[in-house]
Amino acid sequence: MIEPTAILSGLIVGILFGFTLQRGRFCMNSAFRDIILLKEYTLLKAVIVAIIVSMLGFHIMASLGIIQLNPKPLSWGADIIGGFIFGVGMVLAGGCASGTTYRVGEGMVGSFVALLGFMLSAVITGSGALSGVKSYLETTTKITITDPGPLIAPSSRSPTLANIIGVDPWIIVIIIAIVGIGALAWKRGGEGKTEGSLSEKIFKRGWPWWATGIVIGIIAMIAFPASAATGRNYPLGITGGWSTFLNALIKGDANVLSWETFLVIGVVIGAALAASIAGEFKLRAPGPGRLIQQFIGGLLLGIGAVIANGCNIGHILSGVPQLAISSIIFGFFVIIGCWTTAYLLLMRR
Amino acid sequence: MSEIKPTETLDVRGEVCPYPDVMTQKKVKSMKSGEILEVLVDYPLSVERIPESVKKMGHEVLKVEKTGASEWKILIKIK
Repeated sequence: MIEPTAILSGLIVGILFGFTLQRGRFCMNSAFRDIILLKEYTLLKAVIVAIIVSMLGFHIMASLGIIQLNPKPLSWGADIIGGFIFGVGMVLAGGCASGTTYRVGEGMVGSFVALLGFMLSAVITGSGALSGVKSYLETTTKITITDPGPLIAPSSRSPTLANIIGVDPWIIVIIIAIVGIGALAWKRGGEGKTEGSLSEKIFKRGWPWWATGIVIGIIAMIAFPASAATGRNYPLGITGGWSTFLNALIKGDANVLSWETFLVIGVVIGAALAASIAGEFKLRAPGPGRLIQQFIGGLLLGIGAVIANGCNIGHILSGVPQLAISSIIFGFFVIIGCWTTAYLLLMRR
Repeated sequence: MSEIKPTETLDVRGEVCPYPDVMTQKKVKSMKSGEILEVLVDYPLSVERIPESVKKMGHEVLKVEKTGASEWKILIKIK
C-alpha cells in the first residue's frame, strides 16, 4: 500500500510540474515539429536547457551521494520501434505524453480523448494483448554491460555514454553541457522582455524559454530523491503514472498505485490552476474528425512508450540527462517519427 | 482605424497546436494583398505563435485582442 507521504510528495511535485508546463507551453511535440515546420527553435531551447540543468543536477546529487543514477535498460529494437511509433503518435495526438497531460488541465477535450487512448494502449501493451510484442523486442535486442561505473546504482546493467567507453561520467557531462550552451548562444533570440510586474510575469504571461527550462530542470532534481524515497528510484515520468492509474481502476487494486500515479494527477491539477489564474482555462473541443485522429494518436503514444519502456519525459527529459544510451536512441527515433508524420500530414500540399 | 472589417474569418477554436498555426498559414496564402483575415483562436500557445509566424511570412498583424475566457481574435493584413 502506498504511504500518504508518497501520495503528498507525488502530488506536490506534479502540481509544480504541471504549473510550469502550462506557463512555459512546454511541449516536445511542438519543439521537434517546429524545427522543420516553422523553423522555430524557442521550445527546443527550453528542452535543451531543461536537459542540461537536470543532467548537471543529477550528477552533482549522485556525486554527493544523495541519489544513485538509474539509467533505463537498453533494448535497441524496442527503443527504435517504440520511439518511432511514439513520434508518429505525438503529431496525431497534438501533444507528447506530458503535453497531452497538461492540456487536459487546460480543458482541452481533444487532449482528454488522446489521454484515454494513451492509457488504454499503455495497459494493453504493458500487460494485455500486445505485451508479447514488447517482451519479444526487449529480450531479443537487449544489450547489457557488466560494470555500470561510478554514480550509478550497482545493480544496473544499463549502458550509458560514459560506462560503454569506460570514462568518468563527468567528462561526458561537461562536454555535453559545453556543446549545449554553445548551441544556445549560437541560436540566440526569443528571450524577449515581457511587460508587467513580477507576479504578472509568473501568473499571467507565457514564460520565456530559459526560465521554463531552468524551472523544469530544478523540478526534475527535486523529483529524483522524492520518488526514490518511496522506492521508485527514478525522476519524472508520465506513462507509468497513467498505466498504473488505469490498472488500479480496472483491477480495483490500490497496490499498483505509485508515486508516479500521483505525479500525473498533480500535473493535471497544476496545469488547471495555472490556466485558470491566467484566464486560459476553457472546455473546448475540435470537430469529430480531429477527435478521432487525436484518439488514434493517443493509442500510438501508449504503444510506443510502453514498448520503449518510457515516454518523452521518462526517456528524453529523465534518461538523456543520465546519459542512458536507450533514451538517446529513443529520442532520436521520436524525432524521426515526428518529422515523417509532420511532413506527410502538414507540409505536403 | 476604429473598427476594421475583416474580409474573411477563420475559426480554429478547439484545435490544438499545430493546427491553428498551419490552418492560418494556409488561409493567408490563399488570400489577396490588402485583404484582412480575422482568426478566432482559443489556444494560448497559438495566440503567441500565429502573430510570429505570420510576421515571418511578411504580413502585418493589426491586432491581437482577448475576447473572453481563453478566447482571442487576431487581425492580419495580407501584404
